[in-house]
Amino acid sequence: MRVAERIKHDGGTPAKAAAAPSLPPAVVRPRKRRGVNREGLEAGRRSTRTLLWILLAAAMVLYGFPFLYLLFTSFKTPIDTIAVPPTILPKEWTLENYTNALGRIGVLASFINSIQTAIISTVLSLVLAVPAAYGITRYKTLSGRIFIMAALVTRMVPPVAIGIPLASMMGTLGLSDTPIALSIAHTTISLPLSIWLMSSFFEAVPKDLEEAATVDGCSRLGALWRVVIPVVSGGIAVTAIFAFLASWNEFLFALLMTAIRSQTTPVVIANFQTQFGLDWGSMTALAAVYSIPVILLTLLLQRKIVAGMTLGAVKG
Amino acid sequence: MRISDRRFALFLMAPAALFLTVFVAFPLFRLIADSFFKISPIAGGPRDFVGLDNYVRAFASEAFNGAGWRTLAYTLIVVTLEFALGLGMALLFTMLGSSSQIWRTVFMYPLMIAPIVAGLLWKFLMIDNFGLIGTLLHQAGILSNPNQIGWLSDPGIVLYSVAIPDIWLTTSFMCLVLFAGLQNIPGDLIEAARLDGARAPALLFRIILPLLRPVIAVALVVRGIDAARAFDTILIQTNGGPQSASETMSLLIYRTMIRFGDPGLASAMGTIYLLAMLAVAFVAVTTIWRPGKDT
Repeated sequence: MRVAERIKHDGGTPAKAAAAPSLPPAVVRPRKRRGVNREGLEAGRRSTRTLLWILLAAAMVLYGFPFLYLLFTSFKTPIDTIAVPPTILPKEWTLENYTNALGRIGVLASFINSIQTAIISTVLSLVLAVPAAYGITRYKTLSGRIFIMAALVTRMVPPVAIGIPLASMMGTLGLSDTPIALSIAHTTISLPLSIWLMSSFFEAVPKDLEEAATVDGCSRLGALWRVVIPVVSGGIAVTAIFAFLASWNEFLFALLMTAIRSQTTPVVIANFQTQFGLDWGSMTALAAVYSIPVILLTLLLQRKIVAGMTLGAVKG
Repeated sequence: MRISDRRFALFLMAPAALFLTVFVAFPLFRLIADSFFKISPIAGGPRDFVGLDNYVRAFASEAFNGAGWRTLAYTLIVVTLEFALGLGMALLFTMLGSSSQIWRTVFMYPLMIAPIVAGLLWKFLMIDNFGLIGTLLHQAGILSNPNQIGWLSDPGIVLYSVAIPDIWLTTSFMCLVLFAGLQNIPGDLIEAARLDGARAPALLFRIILPLLRPVIAVALVVRGIDAARAFDTILIQTNGGPQSASETMSLLIYRTMIRFGDPGLASAMGTIYLLAMLAVAFVAVTTIWRPGKDT
């Protein structure tokens, strides 16, 4: 507190505050990130840093190249796509592959199916995972501990093992070949992950918060809804992104559980290979159209996503 | 009237528990039940109880044993390479500090790409004749002929080739997790070791890796389980071929179920596979993970 006031008085520059005689500089120096080891592992020497930057540049070029090649290929003419020997850049830039791919019957419908399935699955995962994770972390009962273990164990179940029984169950329920059936299947993947992520976020909420709310006359559900959920809304957003991505990119359940009506784009991309011979140009175009929105979304929301990805692993 | 906290917690967990029971536990139960029957692939066809016959057939079949070893080898290849590369990148980013932040973000991009797209993309890079990798290696003078290495057509190396997209997709995950772990190592400790004259290898093997052990363990377990279930990338690249040289367990079960129309045998294989995974999961969860306890 006093340190903060001091900084304010000095005009807010940390350098000035550090110069104040009564304060040890280490206390005042602002930490840019949690990076406790900024001074530890970070390379200081100029020559070392140059070398490291060169290494990083090489790694980034190698790592980024495959997707760039996919993009370049998608702008080639269909014949150039499979030219021997291949070239990296298109000889002639054209959108022909895109018009071919998107004009094909069923492709646009598959996009709508993918979006529908991913949205239903995301909502379902959140509606189920948020209360469950809250019940697990806030009350710490034995049943809660058993439940989170069981939910994590479901993560180990290979989709290929339950895909067929699940598909026949959906048939019994009259849901065969619908986005709802597929989104339920996708939720079996994203729900355990969502419970795990949300548990970590609830863990960080101080218990006093909802105790104060219940004292003020809120019911426990009311406290959860009006006080706790707004506090973890960032965590809910991260969980939603993960659930969405899990469904958007899923292939095996989609292959086993959909036919023409509810087919999602990953299945259509895979089908290009068998149904139409080797139509590489259209495949690359469709793959690019399908991947770019989610890549951009991630770049926009990157901080939150990084937090979500590392949370469970590092804490556990 | 106010219900007890324990009841309230159960009430909150019940919908999710019910969902997982109906849509995971019940299909699993069906799978296990099916493994004791000989089932006609035609809907409504005969269904005869055969006891453990499907299990005997699974263990006796060369395809099953081969797929088991290949799955193990595939998992080890993927996880080892991913770990080595991910650790290298995490150290690189840590040594460059906050100025490398934007590149850390960019490095994450493959995580958002569908495995099916990654498999397709690498197939396109490695395919015979118009694959770019062979051509570039040829132009660089490393190969005498662009098709000298049949990345996806030589049974001897295909298992390594099909692992590449998986490694490419998830090295970012390893890197992220390890990077976060590295941020938690106190800088003073590194300084102290440096003052004591520790050089880079000692610093890495004596200090950094032991301190990262819990993070490494979790990352390896998570990725190991995912790699053992790999399906999409392999299916699109080779469909298990040539000569089943890249047929892992997921693919074999899929083919037994769909192509060979033997749901009973496929269910037995699936059950064995699942039990093996659960054994690994159990060891992992009880020894290193312990969710809900120390968080």
